[in-house]
Amino acid sequence: MTALVAALFVVALAAPWVVRSIGRNAFVLLSVPLFAALCWLLATRRGLDLIHWVPSYNLNLAFRLDALSLLMAALVTGVGGLVVLYCSRYFEAGEEGLPRFAGYFLAFAASMLGLVLADDLVLLYVFWELTTVFSYLLIGQDGGRLEARRSALQALLVTTFGGLVMLLGLVMLSTVAETWRLSVIVTQPPRGPEVTAALVLILVGALSKSAILPFSVWLPSAMTAPTPVSAYLHAAAMVKAGVYLVARLSPAFHDVAAWRVTAMALGALTMVLAGWRALRETDLKLVLAYGTVSQLGFLTTLVATGTREAALAGVALLLAHALFKSTLFLVTGIIDHATGTRDLRRLTGLRRELPVPFWASVLAAASMAGLPPLLGFVAKEAAFTAYTHDGTTATVTLAALVAGSVLTFAYSARYLWGAFAPKPGAEPREVHRPGPLFLAAPVVLSLAGLVAGLVAGPLNAALTPYARTFPEGDRPVEGLALWHGVGVPLALTLLVIAAGTGLFLAREPVARLGARLALADGQEVYRDLLYRVDRAALQITGYTQRGSLPSYLGVILVTAIVLVTGALLLGSPWPPAIAHVWDAPAQLVPAGFVIVGAALALRARRRLTTVVLVGVTGYGTAMLFVLHGAPDLALTQFLVETLSLVIFILVLRRLPVHFTEKLSPVRRVTHSVIAVAVGVVVVVVGVLATGARSLPPVSVVFPKTVADLHEHNIISALIVEIRSWDTLGESAVLGIAAAGLTSLIFLRHRAPRHLPDPAAETSPRNVWAWSPEGDEEEPPPEWSQAKADRPERPWLRGSETLADERRSLIFEVVARLVFPPIILLSLYLLFSAGSSPGGGFAAAIVAGFGLVIRYLAGGRYELSEAAPVGPGLLIGLGLALSCLTGLAGLLFGGSVLTLGVWEGAVPLLGKVHLSSSLFFDLGVYLLVTGLVLDILRSLGAGIDGQVEREARPGERREETVV
Amino acid sequence: MKVEYLIPLPVVLPLLAAGVKFIIGPRGNRLQGLISVVVTIVTLLTEIALLFAADDRDGPLVLTLGGFSPGVGITMVADRLSAMMLVITSTVVLCILIYSIGQGAVDQGASGPLTVYHPTFLILVAGVSDAFLAGDLFNMFVGFEILLVASYVLITMGGTGPRIRSGATYVIVGMLSSLSFLVSVAMIYAATGTVNMAQLAVRIALLPPDVALVLHVMLITAFAVKAAVFPLSMWLPDSYPTAPAPVTAAFAGLLTKVGVYAIIRAQTLLFPGDRLGLLLMVGAFLTMIVGILGAIVQADLRRMLSFTLVSHIGYMIFGVALGTVDGMSGAIFYAFHHITVQATLFLVTGLIERRGGSTNLGRLGGLARVSPLIGVVYLVPALNLAGIPPMSGFLGKLGLLQAGAIMGTPAAYVLLGAAIATSLLTLYAVSRAWGAAFWRRPRGPVAEPGTVVSSPGPEEHAARSPELRTDTTGLGESSVTAARFPRLMLGSTIALVVMSLAFTPFAGPLIAYADRAATESLRQDAYIHAVFPGIGR
Repeated sequence: MTALVAALFVVALAAPWVVRSIGRNAFVLLSVPLFAALCWLLATRRGLDLIHWVPSYNLNLAFRLDALSLLMAALVTGVGGLVVLYCSRYFEAGEEGLPRFAGYFLAFAASMLGLVLADDLVLLYVFWELTTVFSYLLIGQDGGRLEARRSALQALLVTTFGGLVMLLGLVMLSTVAETWRLSVIVTQPPRGPEVTAALVLILVGALSKSAILPFSVWLPSAMTAPTPVSAYLHAAAMVKAGVYLVARLSPAFHDVAAWRVTAMALGALTMVLAGWRALRETDLKLVLAYGTVSQLGFLTTLVATGTREAALAGVALLLAHALFKSTLFLVTGIIDHATGTRDLRRLTGLRRELPVPFWASVLAAASMAGLPPLLGFVAKEAAFTAYTHDGTTATVTLAALVAGSVLTFAYSARYLWGAFAPKPGAEPREVHRPGPLFLAAPVVLSLAGLVAGLVAGPLNAALTPYARTFPEGDRPVEGLALWHGVGVPLALTLLVIAAGTGLFLAREPVARLGARLALADGQEVYRDLLYRVDRAALQITGYTQRGSLPSYLGVILVTAIVLVTGALLLGSPWPPAIAHVWDAPAQLVPAGFVIVGAALALRARRRLTTVVLVGVTGYGTAMLFVLHGAPDLALTQFLVETLSLVIFILVLRRLPVHFTEKLSPVRRVTHSVIAVAVGVVVVVVGVLATGARSLPPVSVVFPKTVADLHEHNIISALIVEIRSWDTLGESAVLGIAAAGLTSLIFLRHRAPRHLPDPAAETSPRNVWAWSPEGDEEEPPPEWSQAKADRPERPWLRGSETLADERRSLIFEVVARLVFPPIILLSLYLLFSAGSSPGGGFAAAIVAGFGLVIRYLAGGRYELSEAAPVGPGLLIGLGLALSCLTGLAGLLFGGSVLTLGVWEGAVPLLGKVHLSSSLFFDLGVYLLVTGLVLDILRSLGAGIDGQVEREARPGERREETVV
Repeated sequence: MKVEYLIPLPVVLPLLAAGVKFIIGPRGNRLQGLISVVVTIVTLLTEIALLFAADDRDGPLVLTLGGFSPGVGITMVADRLSAMMLVITSTVVLCILIYSIGQGAVDQGASGPLTVYHPTFLILVAGVSDAFLAGDLFNMFVGFEILLVASYVLITMGGTGPRIRSGATYVIVGMLSSLSFLVSVAMIYAATGTVNMAQLAVRIALLPPDVALVLHVMLITAFAVKAAVFPLSMWLPDSYPTAPAPVTAAFAGLLTKVGVYAIIRAQTLLFPGDRLGLLLMVGAFLTMIVGILGAIVQADLRRMLSFTLVSHIGYMIFGVALGTVDGMSGAIFYAFHHITVQATLFLVTGLIERRGGSTNLGRLGGLARVSPLIGVVYLVPALNLAGIPPMSGFLGKLGLLQAGAIMGTPAAYVLLGAAIATSLLTLYAVSRAWGAAFWRRPRGPVAEPGTVVSSPGPEEHAARSPELRTDTTGLGESSVTAARFPRLMLGSTIALVVMSLAFTPFAGPLIAYADRAATESLRQDAYIHAVFPGIGR
């Protein structure tokens, strides 16, 4: 069976290709696999396939064939094959989207077959949802129409809603039963409150799939689908899935009142209300659609009852309904095809024009109305018989079913009358006669209804095994038969015929009455619900997604404050006394600076002031490091702080002096409160955390570890040895920050402000290939002149390009003179890191200052004089060197970042300590130098270039022209 | 040579390659792309080796760098969970890289600076890998820093107005999250005197419970910003959608999952027990519901997907919050699925943008007819995201539902309901988008074949593509072009779709692996023992 289902899916995959190659006749070919499957199933009759799928979740690909499955599978393949055959003439040759349609249709058939054969609840659910998805795609076949899209979405949402609720129920059921196997659950049904809840949830899924109230709304809408889809999915196959599931589980759970009563009551109610509705529809397909809803209610009631008689009647009616309803749909399709309308007020005299469809419809409608000798009659007799015993429930149900049958009779008659009767006042329409291939399916299906009614005996034998899964009742089951003798059921049938005829004759007033009594339409409820969900979503989203960064930051900070404060208040983690407020009272001074600086920064209106005040907090922190006895950290912090100031100032050139955004006082206060609260919380947690420490920190072993390395500077050893892995990572961070900076500065004025620039195609895409001499422009004439005309060296060559008022001779001289010592200092810091404060990072920043001074004194051309290599090269070399040191360690030393150590005396430098970490540090050095150079090039020289270009109006015009 | 030596490679190799790229710089994109792909493949192979090694060995693989003793030096740990995350990360990254190479080949001259793009991308991957492999809380912070700074560069790349605006949101929120992570690390060090995670596991257990609770809350809050747990998620939909498709795909696939991974480690290794289970459940609930409500009202495909991304983080947090093996396994498998599918969908938006000229649902139309293939590559992952069986999204959801049902507490049932509702609304969102972009008839005329719409942001199309016959700036106008796709773009997207479908037949071994990974992650003592052989067990 696994192979059978899989094979059908393969056919579905191939179907679009087949249809594309040979056109609509391909459907004839495509019906063959379905008929073959039918034959195989009828020959096999019984079986079990089991393949493990996900052992952790206990999922299996389990397929099982028994009486009920066989009935359903036969319907799926038999009716499916006939409808596919019908498609070959229903569609015009070369109709758009036909290949796609064929694929979806066959895939649906495969899924449906899988659904009815599945013996594993998850597998069943898989196919269940697949049928939903393919139904969605089939209803939306003509997705260009709004109506089709809406109906498709509605069917999808309603049935998936039910499906998901059902999934929850299935999960709960299987959790109690500890298995997913359907047959196991049915033979050893679990009990308990969870099971009852699970069953109600499962029922929601089943009812929504079978369009039982209150989920009926989607089925009539789905009639926008092509008629073969209506006939197959929405009459014979998919809508029966819910009934099938109820029928499957009822043998085990019919004694659970919540399950039985809910299903029976909703089923009966649906049967009556939908039947009543069918009496006033004027579109033939809608008459049939409401009729289907009504019959599905009937079926649900029968299979949920839990007696052998009702179950037998239920499955018989299931078969009967599939046969007569698909016939009627297919005939409707023929009528639609032949006349171009389905409006029963405009159709007239078709009895003579379309004799074969007429006689097929008569058989089908008679079966639907429950007239002998058709299968519909047999099933309905059996149904009435099942409720003729004593008991209030039975009587009430019987009354509802009889009332529903009266309505069924009436709308059956109405259908026949509407489709075929001659009507005064309606214009006869031109009719295209259908060919034999078009007629085959309805004829076969209607005849099958007749034959099955006549040979009720063998049918009874085939279906009884299912009925036997229910417990034996107090009286013998009569079985299906054409003639039960005179009794209550027969009397009820006569009553149905009489009352139904009456209703049909009074069709005009009935339709008017129906329209007047109509309650809220399901469509409106659905639309209203969807509208409410959309509106709520819009409101909530509008409320949460304000698009304002300050509010997002506020939310994050407030959440953090609330959560941490909550945790603080929840426990009582307060230490008895705060032992330790400061290490030295002198710490209060820098701390005070930091606090005051931060507070003032909040109030500053000028950008530059803010930057300086923020700098104060940094210098204060550096002072704290000094007081803690950490000169390395302090040195680095001072350097970084200063460099940041320089960078800020470079950027601030391009920004307004004052903050432009005015904050309302309320927001200013709110921000301050949040800021202070965050600070307080962090302090409190800090005090608490330090107070809670009972074990010595890992740092106590650092002196010894470092000594083992023959190093003398713990900080340096930490950075380049012990935690060099972190350093490597942070180096990458710096490198990438440089890359980002460059990409931003050099693209903002190149890219999309203007139309695409043909020149940009040829310009280098590597931003670091950009030279500081300017963007696409040649260096100014003074520059080349400076090179050519002045044999004697000026202090700074690049400064020749500066305007005279920007030049300062003193500055140039100083810059020229201090540059070499600065570089030397930086090298010293690099190599001496092992024993004294320094290290690659600080050293590189010092070198960076050399470049800063050259740039400030001599302008952007001087920068390229000072550093002839590109930052990309430096950064790349640095990163690669650090990584290679690490990898070399891996290759030779056994672990990343370990290599040998070499110590010795070198003239001038004294005792030198060389280890692999020096290479590592050198990498850091190169990288950080590259970073500073990159910053100067982009934020310094790059912005210079922008400023100059904007100052020269002629060039700007040229740019816009391009 | 011990297999443990492979552990640093997923970090070092991309970094080295990035360095090499900076050096070779201007020598052409083809070489850059080639290096990226080769390095990613080598990394992937290493990670697969690690995965099998970690699965073979009962207990995590440990390497303390520099030959120092654990606690002093930095420890890296590869267990089943981290190996699995690494493998899926690299696989998805490989596809994204190939996609962006394909895109770059066409967008040359119009698009961003590729020489920055490729090294940055590799460094991002290195950061993600480092975060997954860190056995040291501070090193995990470094990993976060690497990936964050790389993502800052990627999100602002190209420097258009919208990108800078959304980039500012992203960068500043990112910095705030880093800061809170750093403060948490500092506090944890203050209380315990170590940052080695195995040692932390031992020492935190010795702290007074109420102090541990405070530290726990701080750390989880910091991670929750990264993982985008509501209400700390608002930044995400405002910043992701403006980036180019491959960048958004990488972010969506990887970055939030690093946050989820960190939460898993915090919940299982550092602060075991269900102290914060309920809080996380509340977060999961809000994340799912508020996120998906955001998705259904979006008119832009990328924004819609950004909201589904947030929403489905809720599923993983739910699994983690349960604190059981089932829940954790469900969360891990869901992460595995979600990385793939969400990345695929963002790549598909790139294809849609190229063909339809926009990602705005109001402008798109008729794509199913013009390009059935895009229809398939959108619909399959979209339905997968909505959890339509038998795809991986369904299996992940099923695992979580089962775990919740087994737990059986009222809170768990509420979460089950929320999960169901989220699933339905996801389906609503993606199928509505399908209806608008694929089924609806296009309103504008169809452009001549051969025209190419390509640019990172919709607002620039009109300016950049003068050949385009339709006016994409007019309200309600839609444009459909018959542009050919670079084979690499389409091919890598299809590869991802096929891979996500392959999760279904291979669900058995995959989920079994997730189960083992979950079991292992919950065995705190095994982790401690692996790092400090003297302790634990």
